[in-house]
Order: sequence, then C-alpha cells, then structure tokens
Amino acid sequence: MRTGLTTSLLALALLAPHAYAEDDWGDDAWGDEEESGPALHGFIEGAVGGRTSSDPALIDDDQTLAELRARLESETYLGDTRLSGKLDLYTDAADGGDNGLQLNLREAVAEFTLADNIDMRVGHQVLTWGTGDLLFLNDLFAKGWVSFFSGRDDEYLKAPSTSVKWSVYGEDANLDFVWTPVFTHDEFIEGERFSYFSPLAAAQVSAPAGKVVPEEPSESFSNGEFAARLHGTTSLLGSNSTEWALYGYRGFWKQPNAINSSMQPYFSRLNVLGASLRTNVATGIGHTEFSWYNGADDAGNDPLVPNNQLRFLIGYEQELIPKLTLGLQYYLEHIQDYDALAANDGNSPYRPDENRSLWTMRLTYRAMQDNLILSWFSFYSPTDQDYYHRPSAKYRFNDQLSLTVGGNIFGGDQAHTFFGQFEDASNVYARIRFSY
Amino acid sequence: MLIRDAQGREQKRQFTILRRDREEGGEQDFLVVFSRPADVRNTVFLVAKKPGSDDDRWLYLPGLDLVKRISAGDKRTSFVGSHYFYEDVSGRGTEEDTHSLLETSGTHYIVDNTPLDSSSVEFSRYQVWINKQTFLPEKIEYQDENGELYRRVEVLESQEIQGYPTVTKSQVSDLRSGGATTLEFRFQKYDLGMEESVFTERSLRKPPREWLKRN
Repeated sequence: MRTGLTTSLLALALLAPHAYAEDDWGDDAWGDEEESGPALHGFIEGAVGGRTSSDPALIDDDQTLAELRARLESETYLGDTRLSGKLDLYTDAADGGDNGLQLNLREAVAEFTLADNIDMRVGHQVLTWGTGDLLFLNDLFAKGWVSFFSGRDDEYLKAPSTSVKWSVYGEDANLDFVWTPVFTHDEFIEGERFSYFSPLAAAQVSAPAGKVVPEEPSESFSNGEFAARLHGTTSLLGSNSTEWALYGYRGFWKQPNAINSSMQPYFSRLNVLGASLRTNVATGIGHTEFSWYNGADDAGNDPLVPNNQLRFLIGYEQELIPKLTLGLQYYLEHIQDYDALAANDGNSPYRPDENRSLWTMRLTYRAMQDNLILSWFSFYSPTDQDYYHRPSAKYRFNDQLSLTVGGNIFGGDQAHTFFGQFEDASNVYARIRFSY
Repeated sequence: MLIRDAQGREQKRQFTILRRDREEGGEQDFLVVFSRPADVRNTVFLVAKKPGSDDDRWLYLPGLDLVKRISAGDKRTSFVGSHYFYEDVSGRGTEEDTHSLLETSGTHYIVDNTPLDSSSVEFSRYQVWINKQTFLPEKIEYQDENGELYRRVEVLESQEIQGYPTVTKSQVSDLRSGGATTLEFRFQKYDLGMEESVFTERSLRKPPREWLKRN
C-alpha cells in the first residue's frame, strides 16, 4: 500500500512529459517547434527613472533612465548546433538623447558538442561563474555598471563579450576555458549619466571635461583574456553535493583604474587565482570564495597603478518563513603592500583603506501566487561608511505584462568612497514590459 | 499547465520534465526545462530529491548565464506560480505521515494520512482515493486544523503507457480562493536509459537535446 501510494503520487510527475493545458497559445503548443521554423520572442519595454536629488556635478541631470526598448530573440538548430541570437533596439534619452535608434547585440552564439564530453560555445555571449550574489571575485567577465545603477533589468548587469568557451566534462572534475580575443572591459561609470569622484581633481566630476576616455590595450593574442574554471561536486562539509571550484584569469582590470604618464586612465595588467565552495548548510545554502588579484604594481609603490589584492567572501541564504528568503554576505578586500602605497601617494586623503569590508543583505518575498515579488538588496561598508540600497517590486499582471518599480539609493559619510561618491546618483525608476 | 485565479485570469507554463530514479522509491533527479511563456523560456530547474534530508536545487537563468543554487526551503509553496506545490511534483515521502485505511469501496482504497511533523505542513490530515487496479491516487483532499476541506488534487485522465498506469491530466483546486491549475502531460516515455550525467550543471547550461526531443 505504501509503495503504491508513493509510486502513484510520483506519477503526477512523469518521464519526459510536455506539460500544457488548453491549446490557445495561438499555435499548436504540442507541435514540434522545429517543423514550424524558429520562433521569434522578446519584449518591448518602456523605462523611466529620475534622480532623488539634483547632481550639481552634471550639466544635464534630469533623467537616469528614459528609454523604449525592443528585444528580438530567436534560436534554431543547424544539425546539432544550436544558434541563438538576442538583439536590442532602443532609444535612450537619458544620455543627452538625440542618439536616435541604438543597437545592442546581447547574444549571437553557436553551441555544439565537439566530442562526447566536450561542449563549445562560440560567439557573442554573456558569461558568469562564481558564488557571490552581486559580488564578483573570480568572475572577471564584463559587467554593465551603468545599467545596474540606473535600474535596467538585472540581466544587463552582465555585458556580453565575443568569446570562445570550451567545456570538458569528466568523472571527478570539469574544466571550462574561456578565450576572449579582444579585451572586453566593463561598462564603467564614465561621467555621463552618473558623475564620479576624481582623486586627481579632488572633486566630483563629469563629462565633457571629466569624461573617462581610457586607453585600451592594443589588440594582440597576448592582450586577449584567458579565464579558466576547474570545478566539481564532492562529499565535503557534511554534504555529498558540495560544489568546489578553482579559478584562473589572465587579462586586465575591467575598469580603467590605472593612470599613465600622460594622465590618461588605462586598464592595467591583472592575473587572478581563486577558489570557491558552495553547499547546503543547515536548511540553507552557504558559499565562500577567495581570490588573489595580482597586477602590474607588485611592489605596491606606484599610486597610479592598483596594488595587488586579496579578496574573501562568505555568505549564507535561507528561507526564514515560507516565501520569505534572507541572504547575508560578508566580503573583505585587502590591499597588499599597503605601506608602500602609503609612502608614495603624497599622503592622499583619498587613499582607500587597507581592508575594505562590506556586508550585503538580500530579502525576497514572493506573494500572490508568485505574481508579486518584493526584493531588497543592500550593500553596507563599515570601513568606508557608505551604502547602496536596491529595493524593488515586480508585479506580473499576466504572462505578457509586468511592471517593475525600484530604487538605487547611494550614500556615505565621505565624498570619495566606493558608494559614497554616487550619493547624487540615487534614483527611482519604473519599467513596464510586454513579453512576446 | 493552465493556472486560473479566482477572478478567472489565466496564466500558462509549458515545460519538459526528465526524471531518473537513482533507486526504486528513493533518491531521484529531476530536470525541468521551460519553453513558455517568453519570460521564463530556457529557464532550467534541477532537483536532486533526497528522502529524509533536504533536496538539492539549482536554477539556471539564461539572461545572466547564472547557475543559482537555491535553498531547499518550504516544499509546500507554489511550483512556478501554479497551485501545485513543489512536493506535488516531486512526491511526498510515505515516511513523513502515518497512514490508516479508512474504507475500501468497489473501486478505491481510501487512506487517511496524518503528518508526523505538523509544523512543516499547512494541512492537519489528507485523504487519498487510491484506485484498486492501478494504484494511482485519483483524488487527494486536504483538511486544515479545523477539519475543513481546503485543497483538492484530482486525476482527470489517465492511461497505460509502456505498461505503467500514468496520469495524463490532473487538476489542483484551492477551495478557499476558488483558483485552480490544470496540468496536462503528453509524450510520456519510461525506461529511456538516461544516465546520471544528464542531471548535472552541464544540462543546466546546455539542456540535453537528445532527451528533450519528442520522438
């Protein structure tokens, strides 16, 4: 009887079924997609956002987000090769406007299996690995900070790069290797939509005078980016599904945080080694990650080139009560050879602390049959005494229409710290999206 | 899957489930690949079900290329916005309840089930109508602490596939709100010989097409 009950309860979830109810998607939902050709998907989205106070450093500080965006997505198979493309067409009035229709290719990728245990992913693509929640130690793939700060969809935090990803799967370990032939930097804060603090000018600056126009590495094989991850699952820390990973990266700092002899920002050399663990802990998920950032200033005595760093992260996430989840992370950034930096930077009042610590908190509440998702993410640094809050509410009216409202609230005691410099970038936004 | 709220508003989900038993009636792996609607297309959900301890769960978000590990959490919360719970999809272990045979009718065994740990569930008891021939649970009714019936799961259609009695259409009704979700399965196949390696991070990032094809 008991066996019968289990078996039959499980019969609700069957092998390889395609689940669907009424056939009113406007086509034959049970038909084979490949026979009807590749389908076109995507969304149309309108977004507006404005500053919560004015930014005197900017000439035009009206809007932080003002765009109409159309996403076109399609995928198909050529033999066993999957081809996928995602293209955004948008008009953007927030960066001074008048730029007309803009294009943003998010994805143009071919995926195929080279041998039984080798997958390839070639082309323009978004790449992610590592265990942090909005904190990146060993993930040195390009980020979109302007999008993130202005309240675009989370997906835009990751910027695509044109890369070759080679994945080998083994019994005990798997290896990912990513080659990005042309260095792809972050979409960094360049002083147009948001102003930033310049230690050289000792002031908050913006475009045109303060626009960051970095020198890019010349294009050559050795100036490409190489990233690797060796990873697997094992019995460790009391769980038989502990995920471990080792990481390596050779490339450049993703933001132009070095300054050359003609006072132009540039991307200095960076090599990174690291490791991470992630597993079930109590009734939640624990993760920890470590990395060593090894750059061009090994002695640490050049204040215009970033010193080497050690980075450490530990975090835990758990459901507190049904539908309410809490995540906490502690992050530490340690500058190596700090004495050498301190001895050579002219006693700069803007010198970063030797140890920058950061706490993050994520609260997520799902209500109304998951149609309403309330989220609050906060960064708080006790060493920099600054913060960044990201509240948001998303309501899904139906399968097509959703509304997201939220804010990006920055602040701090000092004008030059990581989040403190963006105090006047604080904004609220709303996005309405029609998916098709 | 058709989700209908009390006001009659409808949402839909279309997905493919691959399931592999690691052992008969024990640990299982699930891979759920979503194809509709557009905002969840290509999202993949991987679960290693471990009776007696917390399940391992991962979610792949294609827009961010992110493999997110999610806490086991409450198994009796909505499965992708429907009236089904995660536990309805993955199955509730028989060791979590005490069972007694209430009645035997001409067609069904009617079994009463009481949870051992009542703090972990929202019901105080549930009754199951088990078909005497097929052993399919054709109706499950849940009662709250006041003995009031508030939730019903029922089989609307079933058939025999490769010799296994199989549910092809079922419905769950929230009797308090009046909302309901209907789930219809097609193209079921058993004993496919899927390997354990189908249920790994590789499949989250690159769903196994050979098993997702319908024929």
